[in-house]
Amino acid sequence: MLLLYVLIAEWLFFYFAGTTVNRRGVTVGFGTLDRQFDILRHSCEIGLLALALTPVIITAGIDLSVGSLLGLCAILFGKFWHDGGLPIPIAATLALGCGALGGALNAALITALRLPPLIVTLGTYSLFRGLAEAITRGSVTYTNFPEGFLFIGQERWLGLPAQAWLFFAVAIGVWVLVHRMTFGRSFRAIGFSPEGARYAGLPVDRHIALAYILAGLIAALAAIIYTARLGQAKADAGTGYELFAITAVVLGGTSIFGGRGSVTGTLLGVAAIAVLKSGLASLPVVMRMNAAEEMSGVLTGALLLLALTAGVLPRLWSQRRARHAAVPKTLPTS
Amino acid sequence: MSRYFRELSVVGALAVALIAMAVFAPAFFQPQPLLSLATREAPTLVVACGMALVIICRQIDISVGSMFSVVSVCTGILAARGWPLLLVLPIAAGLGAALGALNGALVAGLRLPSIVVTLATMVALRQGLNLVRQGEFVNMPDTVQWFGLPQATGQWVLVICALALLAALGLGLRHLAAGRFVYAVGTDAEAARLAGIRPQLVTFGVFVFIGALTGLAAMMNIVQSPQVQPLSGMGLELKVIAAVVVGGVAISGGRGNLWGAFAGLLLLACVAPALTHLRIEAYWEKAIQGAIILLAVVADGLRERRQA
Amino acid sequence: MTPPLLELRRLTKSFGGARALRGVDFDLKAGEVHALLGENGAGKSTLIKIVTGAHQPDGGTIMVGGELAEDLTPAAAQALGIACVYQQPALFPDLSVAENIALRLERGGVLRTVGWRARHGCARDLLQRIGAEIDPATEVRSLSMPEQQLVEIACALGSGARIVIMDEPTASLTHKEQHLLFTVVRELRKSGVGVIYISHRLEEIFALADRVTVLRDGESVGTHPVSSMNEAGLIRMMVGREVAQIYPPSESAPGEVVLALRDVGCAASGVRGVTLDVRAGEVVGLAGLVGAGRTELARVLFGLTPADSGEISLNGQRVTLRSPGEAVAQGIAYVPEDRRRHGVVLEMPIAHNMTMAVHGQLFRGAWLRFGAERSLTLDYIRDLAVKCSGPFAPGGSLSGGNQQKVSLARWLATKPKVLILDEPTQGVDVGAKSEIHKIVRRLAKEGLAVLLISSDLPEVIGMSDRIGVMRGGALTAVLPGGADAHAVMAAALGTTERGAA
Repeated sequence: MLLLYVLIAEWLFFYFAGTTVNRRGVTVGFGTLDRQFDILRHSCEIGLLALALTPVIITAGIDLSVGSLLGLCAILFGKFWHDGGLPIPIAATLALGCGALGGALNAALITALRLPPLIVTLGTYSLFRGLAEAITRGSVTYTNFPEGFLFIGQERWLGLPAQAWLFFAVAIGVWVLVHRMTFGRSFRAIGFSPEGARYAGLPVDRHIALAYILAGLIAALAAIIYTARLGQAKADAGTGYELFAITAVVLGGTSIFGGRGSVTGTLLGVAAIAVLKSGLASLPVVMRMNAAEEMSGVLTGALLLLALTAGVLPRLWSQRRARHAAVPKTLPTS
Repeated sequence: MSRYFRELSVVGALAVALIAMAVFAPAFFQPQPLLSLATREAPTLVVACGMALVIICRQIDISVGSMFSVVSVCTGILAARGWPLLLVLPIAAGLGAALGALNGALVAGLRLPSIVVTLATMVALRQGLNLVRQGEFVNMPDTVQWFGLPQATGQWVLVICALALLAALGLGLRHLAAGRFVYAVGTDAEAARLAGIRPQLVTFGVFVFIGALTGLAAMMNIVQSPQVQPLSGMGLELKVIAAVVVGGVAISGGRGNLWGAFAGLLLLACVAPALTHLRIEAYWEKAIQGAIILLAVVADGLRERRQA
Repeated sequence: MTPPLLELRRLTKSFGGARALRGVDFDLKAGEVHALLGENGAGKSTLIKIVTGAHQPDGGTIMVGGELAEDLTPAAAQALGIACVYQQPALFPDLSVAENIALRLERGGVLRTVGWRARHGCARDLLQRIGAEIDPATEVRSLSMPEQQLVEIACALGSGARIVIMDEPTASLTHKEQHLLFTVVRELRKSGVGVIYISHRLEEIFALADRVTVLRDGESVGTHPVSSMNEAGLIRMMVGREVAQIYPPSESAPGEVVLALRDVGCAASGVRGVTLDVRAGEVVGLAGLVGAGRTELARVLFGLTPADSGEISLNGQRVTLRSPGEAVAQGIAYVPEDRRRHGVVLEMPIAHNMTMAVHGQLFRGAWLRFGAERSLTLDYIRDLAVKCSGPFAPGGSLSGGNQQKVSLARWLATKPKVLILDEPTQGVDVGAKSEIHKIVRRLAKEGLAVLLISSDLPEVIGMSDRIGVMRGGALTAVLPGGADAHAVMAAALGTTERGAA
């Protein structure tokens, strides 16, 4: 809930500090509707990755490879369409399948071999990006996509940027999965206590696998939207996105230790980061320095540390209190 | 012998790779390119030593790349202003240690997961550097390059320094009580506490240590080229983690040593030049590194399963 | 007269509502082996944890060598020369034997160098003194459990401890290793060390100990020289009171055989050749000492560690149980022993905990139906009289007994054919305990086949229609319900009927 107020305050601050009227009497900056749509448009891909990571982190896992998988799927999509001569819908379906496959690779290594998710996805983080670079030989970018496809990323539909509709659809889907279906229950139980979940007869491995495969699938969708927005598919697509996605999830109140978390929180976290980035860019001071990207990076990192610290301090305090209470200064002799 | 099975298998893989190179691409074994390769990898080796320590202690630090960049640029500026290198050196180590102490305080003091903490400091430091420097290069005077020595001599100095550090740390990890404490905490922090070790202090120390080593590595970096790039540390964290994991340091802590990490680094460092000599495009480098990491962890996982 | 090495006066300790120690007196002289005996849960482990500084007592005094020891911490206890050899050794698995010993013994700054040769020499000496043939360079993870125990003993020996506590040191040792250990213990006694020796094997106590103290329900029942006691007398002291508590009478007539085990074994968990029938409406108790294989058998039946030999049949049909999911689908429910780790997810609401095993039935198509969940939860809260602030209170906010009821409700919701209860009343207060007993009776009357694992002897005798006794992973005896406590104890200890009579 706190995050919602922070978000509103943040938005209001930028609305007043970042909106100006230029010499011709036209309002420019943060307060314009165009800018607001821009925020939405630019936060779709990171937002999708954050949605993908929410179930994973609720199961006390992590997936560092989503950004790289985004890059790989974008390249594959471009290749299927351009070199393979496939129509866009089929190329997109194939790309989504590849994303699910990438997620399945993570899932298999994590559940079948009981390897820690951190190191597995660190390996695939490198592998997926490397494959993308190898396929394109570091230089090929696929462009000249048809208008109809670019519509998804660049035009408006029913008043909103077209990709926002896809994003909302996925958000609702993940929200239903986590909050209205038994899978979400299972994810939480696994995150709080994998052994407890096993003793309750839950199919722990299958549900962990589901979370990672879903993450791969959503990363592939993000890749397609990314390609449509920029009109090109290139190997470095989505570099570093995983960090912003993780930050959004943790800011949104999902515990990195698993169990606790919500999709609405993640959406607020995504919004907070997106507004910060765009808002900074509209502040005259920052505009003069031309450093919006960097400043939002520093602030996001700091924000993540603050959110984490705020998350553990109550626990530390209560532990300390408990320790003091448990040790009597002198032994009562009775 | 079985105790060092994991390290020996990496050395074996390295030997196989070198023999294959000798057969298929003998041009790989020319002294001058090899020395250049060794020089380029010297800073990486120093950081890898620190990373091995951190991972043995059952933590991870992915902010080393950003720390490396920050320290490189800062010390580069000082050196360019004519500060004597002997003075810049401790400053580099100290700055690195201070950055490491920040990570250490958050991880050990607040018990936050190191992966997330260092992820945050990684981005904050990198973007902070960009914010201040706007991607500007630092031009180094000739007196700084190769410590003002002839290039070949300078390269040898760097390589020998890195190897000396490796030897000192490797021996220290085995023969100093502090080194053994790192293993004890990485194996079982609670048992270590019962044995009178303070796990939080050891964890903090390990992060300070990797910071200081990264500072030294940055110093070894700035003397190598006429310009210091602000992006010099990009991707360094992945490279060293890969080297350490391939070298047999268990990500679950408590197992492995620096010699294995060294062998792992050599194996990975040979990938890029080997690709060139085998006429495979260099774009495969990252994918192959990723595959090697996965292969190493899968092998460890299978081995663990068989033992259990 | 020199003061005793260790003197405990009126120690008390409670955990939550349960009183583990209610005023224990104990003393240990230099150069004696003092055996500590008692049923599971009599307070032995709590006593040890207080002496080693792991727990703080609520009241009473601890004197070490005649001096008052206040605020005993693990480090302080070690400094006073108190060492403990645990049943499950707490060693560093990734480090070598020599290093494990050294980490316990060496003190000094962090920058001192480590003398590997000296470490190995010291380890070899210590291991030789106890006659263990272990290479100091091996990693502890590759040692067997008894070998690890010997390393623990070497640690205690090396630290020059004056008081050595051995907690069931022979539980997993072979005959030869046992003899070796006895020699070591006698060696220690000769050198003036006081040994507190905990064991369930009476013959060991007679062979080794000078005096014996029996604990019962957190109180010391008496201390006697071993020479003045016999097995029967000791068992009588341990069991003490007759089955005084009132247990609800059995009202059901056992029906068809529901669960039939034929020679069931599992090499990985040490269960050997168990043959047992459980009928509908019957409560079969499983008695035995800790580590006798009762929980292990339950884990086999629940598919956590699948059986690798023998046959399991349900209602006459042969079944394979390879995972908990399969066991649940076959109608087996298991209320585990460790409810905080396995029975209830503490952070999740009661309602979510109760429906966790019935996702498939209650939530068709995987859609959560909050109304159905709520009414099911409220039904069970009422039915089992769970005391809670509401169906969405977190499981961790409940008392032990109520957590147990939540865990039970989760499994009743699956409408099982066989219900396995593992220590259902451990750490539960008296009121909740008798409520749980009534529930178990009612379930049996409704036709459920119940397997009741309990270390509480009166409970297992009072509640069961038949009592299976396990020892060393095998079912060694099946006694009728209401059997004599001495007979059950004797079977669990493995002494002869004659000795116990």
